Amino acid sequence: MLLIRDVLDSQMLDRNRHRMGKVDGIVLELRDGAPPRVVYLEAGAPTLARRLSQSLGRLADALARRWGGTHTQPYRIPWGLVRGVELDVTVDLLLEETRLNVVEDWLRVHISERLPGGRKHEHA
Amino acid sequence: MKRILEIALGLVIGIGGFLEAGSLATSAQAGADFGFDLIWSIILGAICLAFLVEMSGRLSAISKHSLPDVIRERFGFRFFMFPLVIMLLVMYMALATELGGVSLALQMISGVSYRWWVIPVALLSWFLLWKGTFGLIEKGVSMLGLVTLAFLVAAFMLHPPFAEVARGAVPRMPARDGTHYWFLAVSVLGACISPYLFFFYSSGAIEDRWNVSHLNINRITAGAGMGFGGIVAIGALVASAVVFHPRKIQVESFEQLPLLLTSAMGRAGFALFVISLAVACFGAAQEVALTSAYMMAQGFGWEWSEDLPPSDDARFSLTYTLLTLLAIIPTLLGVDILKLTNLSMVVSAASLPAVVVPLLLIMNDARYLGVYRNGWVSNIVVGVITALAFVLAVVSLPLMITGG
Repeated sequence: MLLIRDVLDSQMLDRNRHRMGKVDGIVLELRDGAPPRVVYLEAGAPTLARRLSQSLGRLADALARRWGGTHTQPYRIPWGLVRGVELDVTVDLLLEETRLNVVEDWLRVHISERLPGGRKHEHA
Repeated sequence: MKRILEIALGLVIGIGGFLEAGSLATSAQAGADFGFDLIWSIILGAICLAFLVEMSGRLSAISKHSLPDVIRERFGFRFFMFPLVIMLLVMYMALATELGGVSLALQMISGVSYRWWVIPVALLSWFLLWKGTFGLIEKGVSMLGLVTLAFLVAAFMLHPPFAEVARGAVPRMPARDGTHYWFLAVSVLGACISPYLFFFYSSGAIEDRWNVSHLNINRITAGAGMGFGGIVAIGALVASAVVFHPRKIQVESFEQLPLLLTSAMGRAGFALFVISLAVACFGAAQEVALTSAYMMAQGFGWEWSEDLPPSDDARFSLTYTLLTLLAIIPTLLGVDILKLTNLSMVVSAASLPAVVVPLLLIMNDARYLGVYRNGWVSNIVVGVITALAFVLAVVSLPLMITGG
């Protein structure tokens, strides 16, 4: 397995095979006298912003400190929760239990469900 | 039977992608100004598009990944932003054009200004995407789009000189007015090779759960769909060459175009024209809006499918909602839809390398395609035609903006 080729930017799927974003970043731990080790996968806008440019990354960090409440760090998934690396990266989590879905949830509750025909069981 | 239905995917793209505001207007302009001389540009465009569509269908069937997925995975996030931003711009202009096209059709029958029609048109387009399924949109548009065959019928009824039509199929240098000739050639190429189409097709192949067994159907639909679209566009060019060219009439607005059909068919031609314009533009608008959502969702790893209720993929469905909302602005402001169309087609041609180059690199990568990777014929055909369209577009854009 090659980290950049097979893991970075791959689709992440949760336990129920729901799409939960891409692998936006990989966190390595440098160790004395031993090869570096993968500790986390990162996902979310601040990580992506940092990959585009340093100043965008600093801006995203500042926004996260201002608006992110308790979440001032990028979202990290411990490597131990990774179950499979094939075409997609499967992790042993449930999307609903992570904070990767906050934007989706906010948009659903505040916009989608308020538009006509936006509620799932409206006509059932 | 199932296979026959699957060809519908190819046909919907052939119609919705070919005969929309862009190809209708550019084909008519080419016929009016240069007779049959520019038929070759439709043929080159159709061939190139058929190859590109075949490739993106093959990529999805074999790798189970859509094109944006693979571009990001293979080239990384930083690179991905480049085609994404360019494509969003191209799709915005295309969507604005198509919504304007439907609105103009409604203006022609109602007398009420297209500026007001764009709001109900956009609402209806959005609502069909919001409540509809991929199958409904795919099959609905392809069935309704068959009405555009009227242009082909009209072309035959006008008894064009077939020897001259055939001569137009061979590329040639312009006899006069070189700048305008090449400008129209690139407008036609840009209208034919719409980049959103192969993104749409690649996502469609995933929506329809394609696999290796679909490769033959993929080849047939790409060839038949694009062939069908190309022939209908040639019909519009030929009709224009017969009706407008001898009278030295230039195409300066969409309102002149019903003449293409009324000359041959009288009053029925007017009705057929209005319906063709409305249906073809409406179909294209649906595809463009959906494609913008596919690209965003696949690039960022969100949940997506046109078959899910919108509350299950809020970011996906709100992407096409937002783009549709923004795309009504030019028409609402009363922008000249024909000028917008021409600009949109040239920008589209200029954008091609940003998506075609990564696609070609991926199609030659055995990691994604194994033994199904590209042969040299596909690489050369697509490479050469894309390069031609790009060079012509880059030369045309400054001339166009300065009004040359």
